[in-house]
Amino acid sequence: MNVIDSRGGRPAVESLDGRVVDTFAEAFPMTAARAIITADTRDWSRIAAQTMTGYATSVIACDAEAGIERALDESETPDGRPGFSVLVFAFSRDALEQALANRVGQCVMTCPTTACYSGLPAGEKIVSVGGRLRYFGDGWQVSKRIGGRRYWRIPVMDGEFLCEETFGTTKGVAGGNLIVMGSESGATLRVTESAVAAIRGEVRDVILPFPGGIARSGSKVGSKYRGLRASTNTAFTPMLRGVVPSEMPRGVRCVYEIVIDGLTLEAVEKATAIGVRAALKEPAVIGVTAGNYGGNLGPHHIRLLDVLARFGETA
Amino acid sequence: MPLIFRLASAIGSPVRLGGITPDRLRDMSLVEIARLEVLQGNVSVALGDLFRVSGDGADGRLTFEGDLAGVHEIGRGMTGGEIVVRGSAGRHVGGGMTGGAIHIHGDAGDWLGCEMKGGLIHVRGSAGDHTGAAYAGSRRGMTEGTILIEGSVGSHLGASMRRGLVAVGGDCRDVAGLEMIAGSILVFGACGRAPGAGMRRGTIGVFGMSPVPLLPTFRAAGRFRPLFLRLIRRDLERLGFPPRDELSGEELVLYHGDLVGLGKGEVWCREDGGTP
Repeated sequence: MNVIDSRGGRPAVESLDGRVVDTFAEAFPMTAARAIITADTRDWSRIAAQTMTGYATSVIACDAEAGIERALDESETPDGRPGFSVLVFAFSRDALEQALANRVGQCVMTCPTTACYSGLPAGEKIVSVGGRLRYFGDGWQVSKRIGGRRYWRIPVMDGEFLCEETFGTTKGVAGGNLIVMGSESGATLRVTESAVAAIRGEVRDVILPFPGGIARSGSKVGSKYRGLRASTNTAFTPMLRGVVPSEMPRGVRCVYEIVIDGLTLEAVEKATAIGVRAALKEPAVIGVTAGNYGGNLGPHHIRLLDVLARFGETA
Repeated sequence: MPLIFRLASAIGSPVRLGGITPDRLRDMSLVEIARLEVLQGNVSVALGDLFRVSGDGADGRLTFEGDLAGVHEIGRGMTGGEIVVRGSAGRHVGGGMTGGAIHIHGDAGDWLGCEMKGGLIHVRGSAGDHTGAAYAGSRRGMTEGTILIEGSVGSHLGASMRRGLVAVGGDCRDVAGLEMIAGSILVFGACGRAPGAGMRRGTIGVFGMSPVPLLPTFRAAGRFRPLFLRLIRRDLERLGFPPRDELSGEELVLYHGDLVGLGKGEVWCREDGGTP
């Protein structure tokens, strides 16, 4: 079988399916934290998690990249209530602390019955969250040290908001991606949704920060307009075919991108493999590729063919 | 294999074992250990004259066997390791300890864990007065650590404690949390008079069904479901304390006090009968 050469858009080397471009996603290290959000009901914990991860698709214009990692049942949360785990990524620990404090303060503390805990071990590298939010208690906040961890109890109108003082951080990997190129928009969207569902169902430690896990306005670095850091990815914009250099195989009329941020490189690689495999199940998908910057910016190069070989059907 | 101390015979005058700690004995031979001097009454005696010593303390574990109700200061000042007492222990167990664990499979006397600064004390039986409290003249009782008592305790529980957790499976007598500065005291049985008298901050939970005889300087806030108790419940279970359903989110009555002082302490109890 053949794969598509990313430079020429023509079949190049023997590979899995003939539709996978022999290229790589270029990913970057980012500082990450995991927040565990619980509430009296599943619905309220979901509302808090969704609100907290809103407007957090890309650090191009957001303070952080964030998303829901997975739902947690009662046995998995510190207080025995239903919850969600959320991953948040930022370029520095200071930026992460600011984003977490703002988002937990405005989106979780405000949400009925919620509590918020760190989902990563408290090592040497931590950020203050409850320790910053406690001042909202106006002197009536109470700290409790339980099991070696400190929590703040902040009085609010439905009782008190319980929040862990510090959150552990880790060096994660952001910017993993795969690009699904299809001949028909409806089928391409459906199969990209399937790829998102497969990743979310099978891989832990990752988030897909864009709406529904899918980005339709993939970007390239820079613009003709001064000061604009990113602009539409013309090489993957079907309506511009013929007037700009294209990286799409013939027949492509619709392209979607899945961006993957993870706590480890391996988790991002595994998610990439699962996403590519799921996308290839749809005949309307003409090719699957990945976005990079020529390999000069990000230290992590996730080669599609390599991860497909390493993470087989059982991945 | 732990270092084992078997009481050779019934002791007459009280014995003080302060300084006989796992960290100190870790690198000593049995002969050296047997020669260590401790006070019995006002006389120095060799440890080997009181106990038959066997085993090896290299792993930081000590075991005491026999009726040690007249043996005081077990584990006083210990910094790490583990002490197991198979029987009852005397006064001042774990006083001022900063780390490690003491497990007593019997009762403990007065002043258990007084002014402790860290570590764990777990008593399967009951304990006496002044558990986790400050010594006379001191400003602060325990400042860190955990004391678990599956039975009952005497008076002045956690007096002037600054931080840490004390859980009592049975009853406690008068003035639990007297002049408490902060920390948590949970009593799952009945409580004597005036819990939290003079407390500044901190948490007292009394989960017995009988009314809690609070001072009139406490003010009721209403009934709530305190979430943080669920975290404490999980931590208690992790430490081996018998599971307590009282901490799983049931509605409790909250009182603030003691308003003769700072008034930022809280008392949680099941019923509001018998309160001011």
